[in-house]
Parts: sequence; C-alpha cells; structure tokens
Amino acid sequence: MTANTEAQELKDRLSLIETMIAEGRRSTERFGWTFVLWGVAYYVAILWAGLGHDYKAWPITMTAASVLTGFIIAQKRSKRPATTTVRAIGTIWTAMGISLFILLMSMGFSGRADQHTAIALSAAMLAFANAASGIILKWKLQIACALVWWALTVYACFGGGTPLTIAFLMAIFFCQIVFGAYGMIAEARQRRKDAAHA
Amino acid sequence: MPELPELNPVIHGKLRLALLSLLSGVEEAEFTWLRQKTGATDGNLGAQLLKLEEAGYVSVKKRFVQRKPQTLYRMTDAGRAALTEYVQALRQLLGGAIDG
Repeated sequence: MTANTEAQELKDRLSLIETMIAEGRRSTERFGWTFVLWGVAYYVAILWAGLGHDYKAWPITMTAASVLTGFIIAQKRSKRPATTTVRAIGTIWTAMGISLFILLMSMGFSGRADQHTAIALSAAMLAFANAASGIILKWKLQIACALVWWALTVYACFGGGTPLTIAFLMAIFFCQIVFGAYGMIAEARQRRKDAAHA
Repeated sequence: MPELPELNPVIHGKLRLALLSLLSGVEEAEFTWLRQKTGATDGNLGAQLLKLEEAGYVSVKKRFVQRKPQTLYRMTDAGRAALTEYVQALRQLLGGAIDG
C-alpha cells in the first residue's frame, strides 16, 4: 500500500467517526406531537368547561391527555436511542406537567381558581419549560414561544375577561398547535433524509 | 523524530469504528437502530458488537418491551477512552503523513 493510499484510508476513518457521531446526535427525538396533543386538550377542556361542566372538564381532559402522552412516549421510546438531551428536556417537561397538574387540580377542587391566577400560573410554567428546552436545543422558535407565554403571564395579572381568554386561546394556538405542527413537519423531513441516507 | 502511534486493532475495523462512534453520541441504542444506521447484516453486526463487548468497550442489556426482546448497547468508559485515544493517534498519524 502506498503512503498516499494509507493516508487516504486514515482520513476516511476520521470522516467515518465524524459522520457517525453526527448521526447519533441527530437522532434526538422530537416531540412536536405532544404540543399539538396538549394544545387540542386545552381547547377541549376550555370548550367543555364553557358548556357548564367546569368541575369535571379540566380533570378528565388533563388526565386523558397525560395517559395518552405517556402511552405514545412509551411506544416511541423503544425505537429510538436514548440521548442525554432527550432525557434532560423530558425531565423538564415532566416536572412542569406534574406541577401544573397538581396546582390546577388543587385550585379547581378547592374552588379558589380564578381566571387571572390560573392563566398567569399556567403561562409562567409553560414559559419556563419552553425557555429551558429552547436554550438547550438552541431553538429560537421555541424561545419565541417562551416570550409569548411570559407576555401572557404579565397580561393575565393586569387584564381580564374576554380579551384575556382570547389572548390565552391565541397563545395556545400559536405556541402549542402551530409550533407542534412545525416540529412534526421538521421530524418527518428528517426521517425522509435518514431514509435516503440508509 | 517522535515514534508514530499504533492504531488500536479492535477499533480500527470499519464497522466496529462506526458502532463505537454512533454509541458515543447516545446514552444507549438498540440493535435494530445500530443496524439501520450502519446498514450491516444481523450476523456481521452481532459478531462485531460481541468483539467490542469482549474488549470491554460496550455493555449489553437485554429487556422485553411489549413481549418483544430488545438488546441495548451502551458505550463503557473504557470504550470512550479507547475511541478518544484512537482519534488522537489517527490525527497524529495524519499529521505525520501530511508533514512527510
């Protein structure tokens, strides 16, 4: 083997290492579908509560959404490799979800929930989780969603009534449904790219 | 002139090198995912993973998910150290080749 061929082979090895490390990192699971699912769940709960079933609309819808989320994650997890990034982001959202669930349930059952407090707290917690994952993933769009939720937190403390409800519905639409759908499209694109590589 | 380093023969195999590199970017990965990423056959992949396991570079865990068996591979600290050393040796050799 000539020195040139040998050097080329070593360069190929180095390039193989770089490509494979990138492949592993690219497999970070996306969770666009969870944003869509929870966005729809919020709309169902708000609509149901609006029909006069306030005491059961939120607990039933949130429990159903939690069970469905857990089930789908368990299904998907078995197919993808575990990465530290996925575990870190998953931990943030799980902790936030449990905190929000306990808080809203307690407020609902104690009868101490009011529109301002419930929306301000929900928006602040969603802003926290979006900001944390956006910073970890260096994803500007998710950081923008966090800004929207922070803005709603402030507005919920000062505003009220129908305008606040509309602002909440709009934030859910853009930061849950539209953002989640965008995440799902990005994931589908990545899957197609991976299939072309294989 | 400094002596050029030897390349670790366990890692130098193309498939084994690809496997260790893939595992370095994840916490653990399933056999089917490694097969999909490398395009290797079941038999070859199993044999190369066994060599890495025997060298102490990967650890294996078997479990059942919805009654289906799953084999998960994880890079060990020894594997990470070996890959790091391999990359350093490779860079040194390439540097030598370029200089030469």
